[in-house]
Amino acid sequence: MYQIEISSKKGFKDVHGEHTLSEISGLGIKQVEKVSYSQVYEIHGEINPAQANEIAEELLSDKITEKPLVKKIETGGSRSAVNSKLSVIEVWYKKGVTDTVSESVAKAVKDLGIKEEIKVKTGHKYYLYGNLSQKILNTIATKLLANTLIQEYKIK
Amino acid sequence: MKKVKVLILRTAGTNCDYETQAAFELCGAFAERVHINALIENKNKIFEYDILAFPGGFSYGDDIASGKILANEIKNKLGDKVKKFALSGRPIIGICNGFQVLVKMGLLPDSKLFKQVSTLSYNDSDKFECRWVYLKTVRNEELGVRNLNTAEIKCLWSRNLPDIITLPVAHGEGKFIPESKSLLESLNKSNQIVFRYCDKNGLQPQYPLDPNGSMRQIAGISNDKGNVFGLMPHPERYVYALQHPSRESFNGEHGWGKVIFQNAVDYVK
Amino acid sequence: MNCKTNCAIIEILPLSDNQLIELSRKNVLSLSLEEMKAVQNYFRRLKRNPTDVELETIAQTWSEHCKHKTLTGVIEYTEEHNGKKKKRVYENLLKETIFEATMELDKKWCWSVFKDNAGVIEFDSENGAAFKVETHNHPSALEPYGGSATGIGGVIRDILGVGLGAKPVANTDVFCFGNPNTKLSDVPDGMHHPKRIAKGVVSGVRDYGNRMGIPTVNGSVYFDDGYMANPLVYCGTMGIMPKKYINKTVKSGDLILVVGGRTGRDGIHGATFSSVQLDKESDVSAVQIGNPIVEKKVLDTMLKARDLNLYRAVTDCGAGGLSSAIGELGEKTGAYVELDKVPLKYDGLSPWEIWISEAQERMVFAVPAKNKKRIIEIFEKENVEAVFVGRFTNDKKLTLVYNKDIVADMDMEFLHNGVPKPVRPAVYKIADEKEQKPVKMSAAEILKTLKSALSDLNVCSKEWIVRQYDHEVQGQTVIKPLQGTSIEVSGPGDAAVIYPYTLVKGTKKGIVLSNGLNPQYGKINTYKMASSAIEEALRNAVAVGADIEKISVLDNFCWGNPNKPEILGSLVRAANACYDMSLAFGVPFISGKDSLHNEYSIGGKKYSIPPALLISAMGVIPDAANTVTMPFKQSGNKVFILGVTRNELGGSVLSKIKNMKGGVVPSVYPAQSKPLMKSVYDAINKGLVESCHDVSEGGLAVAISEMAFSGQKGVKINIDAVPVIKSLTPAEILFSESNGRFIVEVNPENEKKFKEIFKGVKHAEIGIITEDNKVIFESIKNKIKFSEKSEVLFNCWKNTINW
Repeated sequence: MYQIEISSKKGFKDVHGEHTLSEISGLGIKQVEKVSYSQVYEIHGEINPAQANEIAEELLSDKITEKPLVKKIETGGSRSAVNSKLSVIEVWYKKGVTDTVSESVAKAVKDLGIKEEIKVKTGHKYYLYGNLSQKILNTIATKLLANTLIQEYKIK
Repeated sequence: MKKVKVLILRTAGTNCDYETQAAFELCGAFAERVHINALIENKNKIFEYDILAFPGGFSYGDDIASGKILANEIKNKLGDKVKKFALSGRPIIGICNGFQVLVKMGLLPDSKLFKQVSTLSYNDSDKFECRWVYLKTVRNEELGVRNLNTAEIKCLWSRNLPDIITLPVAHGEGKFIPESKSLLESLNKSNQIVFRYCDKNGLQPQYPLDPNGSMRQIAGISNDKGNVFGLMPHPERYVYALQHPSRESFNGEHGWGKVIFQNAVDYVK
Repeated sequence: MNCKTNCAIIEILPLSDNQLIELSRKNVLSLSLEEMKAVQNYFRRLKRNPTDVELETIAQTWSEHCKHKTLTGVIEYTEEHNGKKKKRVYENLLKETIFEATMELDKKWCWSVFKDNAGVIEFDSENGAAFKVETHNHPSALEPYGGSATGIGGVIRDILGVGLGAKPVANTDVFCFGNPNTKLSDVPDGMHHPKRIAKGVVSGVRDYGNRMGIPTVNGSVYFDDGYMANPLVYCGTMGIMPKKYINKTVKSGDLILVVGGRTGRDGIHGATFSSVQLDKESDVSAVQIGNPIVEKKVLDTMLKARDLNLYRAVTDCGAGGLSSAIGELGEKTGAYVELDKVPLKYDGLSPWEIWISEAQERMVFAVPAKNKKRIIEIFEKENVEAVFVGRFTNDKKLTLVYNKDIVADMDMEFLHNGVPKPVRPAVYKIADEKEQKPVKMSAAEILKTLKSALSDLNVCSKEWIVRQYDHEVQGQTVIKPLQGTSIEVSGPGDAAVIYPYTLVKGTKKGIVLSNGLNPQYGKINTYKMASSAIEEALRNAVAVGADIEKISVLDNFCWGNPNKPEILGSLVRAANACYDMSLAFGVPFISGKDSLHNEYSIGGKKYSIPPALLISAMGVIPDAANTVTMPFKQSGNKVFILGVTRNELGGSVLSKIKNMKGGVVPSVYPAQSKPLMKSVYDAINKGLVESCHDVSEGGLAVAISEMAFSGQKGVKINIDAVPVIKSLTPAEILFSESNGRFIVEVNPENEKKFKEIFKGVKHAEIGIITEDNKVIFESIKNKIKFSEKSEVLFNCWKNTINW
């Protein structure tokens, strides 16, 4: 399984991140200093690293404004945040909930000429900067970023 | 007189195809809405047409990024045909989602290079917005002059327009960004910037008259030859005076959008 | 019955009353004891227990959502006024009020009413205009984005499924939310904050509507604390179809074709769930997620198949899923369905889940066997999944098969007509309304109040929402939701006008869409609320140029728990208003929908929402160009008020701002309003009106201000010139919300002709438009005068909602 994370290149406006920050502040939470946003795709299937890179570069990221990060993940589970000023909230659909983007990605991968059958999951990753307690992170996750009825979230 | 034939390419999520067809028909052309599957099945069908139009909409839901999946599909399945069509000098227009497709497959701004060198990114406001805007019909920023003289205007689609026109926009990803400063300069130098957002007096606009934060307020560009043209605003939504918020028109009946389609139809004739 | 492997047999024959109730509750069947007993009796006659598939099918078919049991059931109504009681028994409330009025009016231009997925009226001799409005409240409370998206997706399918299918050309939406400024800590446990709900709902409608390429052209948003835990989400779609496709038929032997999205576990029990009150632990699987592109593909392809006459009938999968869709189409013939043929999103669904799943974007067709290949080809060419799952029979039975086992075998007659008619008591006590103490304010106070009124949540600009909808796609929106004399300003338009030139080639005609809603009035008097909503919808349509003789309306009731006699009584009262007004205005209802049980519990206590009746109006006009917007156009033009102002401040914006006690809720006077509306149409049609705006929430002061700032003009108004009934203070004149009033702008050149038209209709010249951008109100009689820049008023109005 490959995890492909798409984030804004340096020097380009991260509009979703900035918007999220203002929404967090709208909740009355002022401790967050900055938010960076990444779109995350999990690609399951028998593809090789070159194909994963091709999907990341040709399809999932914008050549001008975005950079992809491709990781091969054997068992799932990834690193926790690197420092105490940075927290990460990941949001994914729960099993069985229709993920419309995943179907489109699968079609587009076929168009690229990759014949291997793949399954795709899409998620969102928010990097939050600031000294944030678990309670605040939970509030941000449940009141803003994820609807726990259909989505699950992980705080790292 | 020959009947000008227009191919309006549609796919899942295309939704401005009917009004684009109506706009071309109003200008005397024969316009046909063709599904991409039919074109892939019969690749040379494209050459039966004089004009190619990529209409607005949400191709494949604009999943991943707007226009991306359709650009990828066209490039991989019809790339050489579309490139050949462009290099033959026939008019091509991409409106809104169609502009995003042209930019993302690289037919704009350099149809020969056919590689993505610029993009249309998320609006600075981070939201989809539908409103009317002013557009400055710029030809050459450095000269600081605009001529109604056809010879001075590179883009065949934007002839016969006054300094400032109004058109509606409706998009969430319309912020034009080129890969480099030098590309921006060369677009400017070679008269490839066709429309810029402006205020009522043609001056630099503030949000929301600048709806997305585009570099240099770019709203539409053409290729070097001037036959391939893409823009975020919707000229097909302003072919009749009735469609304008204050019912303005240039001849008592029609809107400026019609001129854009008429230019291409007349060019082919 | 041989179905041991694929379904469960539900023991029902020996159950006691209590056990029946428990079974209904445990399986979310939402069936009453009487209904459970009817089921028990049916299977006692068959001498066997039902399968789970059968029981679920009955529960879906008999659900409030599908059957509208309450309003079609027996209601024993008692009305009390001044100590006197009046009684009436309704065998079928809707039939005896709303539907009855339509029958009595018997308009030739009503082509299909109350029998299909939408109402259809004449557009021109060859084309009809179809209109339907739906609600999607409970799912939107739980998952605002997905809930509202599937709400709009569902009503679009109603339009695709009317007759043999119409092409959608416009959407409307109306929302009721809790106060968005509620403190996070005041939001009940387990509920979303009203602002989050509002944002989510708007995004859902935006993403679905925009992707479908249907402009959202009309709507409104209403805020009230009563909707905090139970928001209302009304979504409407209007479409155009050739007259020849208006009827559907199903013949024995026709094949059943399922087209569009795949079936998953999403939305199991949506139909029955809508009759369950919301609480902390509401059912998870009741939420559906939509995929607009799948629906767009279905739209593109099915209209092609329609134009080739490849099918005989179509309907959408809405509440109850395949069970309702196939059940309805096969009611008269019978149907045989192989459930294992239905394409699934993933494995593991049991037969009953496949049958009742409310997975989105699915349509069911009745296809003559000879067209089998051709119709599949049309769908396949554009990557739309289409699968034959069975056939319509002639045995009048519903037979469901899974892997060759029969899992359901019931009579259509029992399924559709076996539900016992409930008998419910209803009471309504007409409250006495008394005029408030005279409202006396200084000029400065009035101006301050005007500014508060303009920035009130229910008056202020909804631009933040409206601009997120593509209201111009298809290029046919010629009167837009936001209106200004230049593109930098936007005032609140009264109604939208669609000029369907891409669909009906060469036409000049237009379609006007508007709405009326005022839950505030309903807290005092639901009869007046309903009649005011009807008049407001009509006034809005007339204000842009609609002909009152060619307007049809839709009703959408959102009410609390109908098992409470007072709540049901307030609904009966509103339905009576619909009947009276429909006849008095000569305006037929063509379709409608009700959503009852809008009830939620907080800390064990149950609350019903403030009742809300949305009236949506659709009018056809001969020339889309003969329409006007609301901004003032030209200085020097005269300002007229049409209609009279009464002391009617009950439930008004003023009474809310000033926390006033008492006040009379505005009544409707059709004998005066209707001739007035006819004259407005006449004047606009003759080009004698430059701008027109209806007077509603916030009264005259708000209406004038809106016309001035959206026109970037000034205006000088003489309060003393306003025609009133009895004596009113300036504040009462400016803020009263009396029905039956318009403000119009007239060029002095046209004054004579204009006055001729309004001979015999109450009207008065009250002011003049000026170039200086100052809005001035003056009463010499009361020595009151105040003035403010129109730009300042614009900013009061504009900046309340900017999320």
